[in-house]
Amino acid sequence: MTIIDDLIPQPESTSTRQAIQRAVHSHRARRVAISRVMMVLCGVALVLTAIPLVLLIIQLVSRGASQLDATFFTKLPQSPTLSSPNDVGGVSNSIIGTIALTVYASIMAIPLGVLTGVYLAESRSKFASTLRVIAQTMAGAPSILMGLFGFTLIVKYFQVGFSAIAGSFALAVLMLPVIALSTELAVRTVPDTLREAGLALGAKPHKVSLKVVIPSAISGIVTGCLLAVARAVGETAPVLLTVGGGYINQWRPLDPVSALPLTIYSGAKSEWPAQRVQVWGIALVLVAFVFVLSLSARIWAARKQKRNS
Amino acid sequence: MEKIVSESTSSTSADQVAVKTVSEIAMSLKDVAVSFNGKTAVRDATFDVAKNKVTSLIGPSGSGKTTLLRGLNRLHDLTPGAKVSGTILLEGTDIYRGDITVTELRTRVGMVFQRPNPFPTMSIYDNVVSGLRFNGIKKKSLLDEVAEKSLRDAALWESVENRLKVSAGNLSGGEQQRLCIARALALEPEVLLMDEPTSALDPIATLRIEELMSTLKERVTIIIVTHNMQQAARISDDCAFLLMGEDRAGELIEFDTTDKIFNNPADPRTLDYTLGRFG
Repeated sequence: MTIIDDLIPQPESTSTRQAIQRAVHSHRARRVAISRVMMVLCGVALVLTAIPLVLLIIQLVSRGASQLDATFFTKLPQSPTLSSPNDVGGVSNSIIGTIALTVYASIMAIPLGVLTGVYLAESRSKFASTLRVIAQTMAGAPSILMGLFGFTLIVKYFQVGFSAIAGSFALAVLMLPVIALSTELAVRTVPDTLREAGLALGAKPHKVSLKVVIPSAISGIVTGCLLAVARAVGETAPVLLTVGGGYINQWRPLDPVSALPLTIYSGAKSEWPAQRVQVWGIALVLVAFVFVLSLSARIWAARKQKRNS
Repeated sequence: MEKIVSESTSSTSADQVAVKTVSEIAMSLKDVAVSFNGKTAVRDATFDVAKNKVTSLIGPSGSGKTTLLRGLNRLHDLTPGAKVSGTILLEGTDIYRGDITVTELRTRVGMVFQRPNPFPTMSIYDNVVSGLRFNGIKKKSLLDEVAEKSLRDAALWESVENRLKVSAGNLSGGEQQRLCIARALALEPEVLLMDEPTSALDPIATLRIEELMSTLKERVTIIIVTHNMQQAARISDDCAFLLMGEDRAGELIEFDTTDKIFNNPADPRTLDYTLGRFG
């Protein structure tokens, strides 16, 4: 019985309790005031962050939306003349070029990046930690470096010339660390209890990775891949030095292609007002594309999360 | 509590006094110790696990019960710095040095964990047959047969028969744990290790798992870690009592029939623990 008596808390003496309650009460007003001030500060910060973004989107939509007609999407670009200064044609070649570049880059970067990420997450070796540092450095490197790398290696060294493959190679190098690091993060969130469950059933470690860990982390992996693709779509520097540009609809890997960011770059410098205005349309398309990709990544991840929980 | 013990084990205590022959022993531990980076977590574990019996490992937190259990299917292998010494025999084969691969060992010594851990991305059916698939068995008719048999053995078939393709995450906690038992049984193991299998479950789900264990031991030897002394008394035939030593390493204090451990233990510390004086 003595044990039980010890376990029951003795009531505080009345004076101590009153002192505590007084202290709690006197602090309450101060805490409420501080809380209000902090909330207002957070709100102001939010508005300040949102202003440039909202202005940008208003600009894009108000100037760009009028450019988006059938000609824009289906026709090739045209050189305006003095007699018809507004005949700039469309940007179908750049749209096709960007899609081709993105698809080739994804084919190269996604499998390699995902496998690297799984390795980074599952291995404790020295090599893995070295690789992680390299990936982190590459993820922060300026994208013009990827362009130079693609130019030096594919365009010059392998003598492929300006081509879709050179551009998508540069984009793939850009995507790789992003995919690898986000995959690593997703794989690390898979609880060890699931790995142990697999091992305890006599599964070899690679089987556990393939059949248990990757499926459990798939929503994070796919989200990372989609965000990497979204980033690659809008990158200018890597394609600037590699794809060569061109005024025909084509997607063959070894030939030069055009790309939307490239057309923005050249169009913005044009002396023809109609071409400078068209650039807003291209920018709107690019932003919409990235928006759709990010949104689908989020929706997909949320749905997958719901199904698994 | 003591009344339950004497009722449930009095019939078995008589034939356990006799020396066990090798064919009656599923696993044999001799001087087993586990250390992490040179720091001993549990030591001095020497006892024989009788075939088709339930052996419980009891003791307060930190006494090394789970650490010892995880040594029995080599789950420490992937932990850097972990070292298991001493001898563990499975049907006479040394599981660390003998002619047995770690994957083969794990198909013969199954495991059920503390928290139900069905694979969340797999259906109920896929969970049950996952062990077979991991080991290269693809024949649909065999998988179907084993799935039904294992789910029946785990007393889960009736409630999931019509939703085998549903994600395992939709089951209740107790059902998930029985699914994990079915998943382990699918490989027809000789020994089933259970690490506090009911600690995350409510009393009714706990009771169902306990009932299940008493029928399962007809075909599989069970070694269970439990914090719950009533549970150890209710379900186990033999009992190993572990305690944390002065250097914070767990050690085996006593191994005997559950009846002896709870009613007439050799070591006074065992009595103190089973009477609830500490731990």
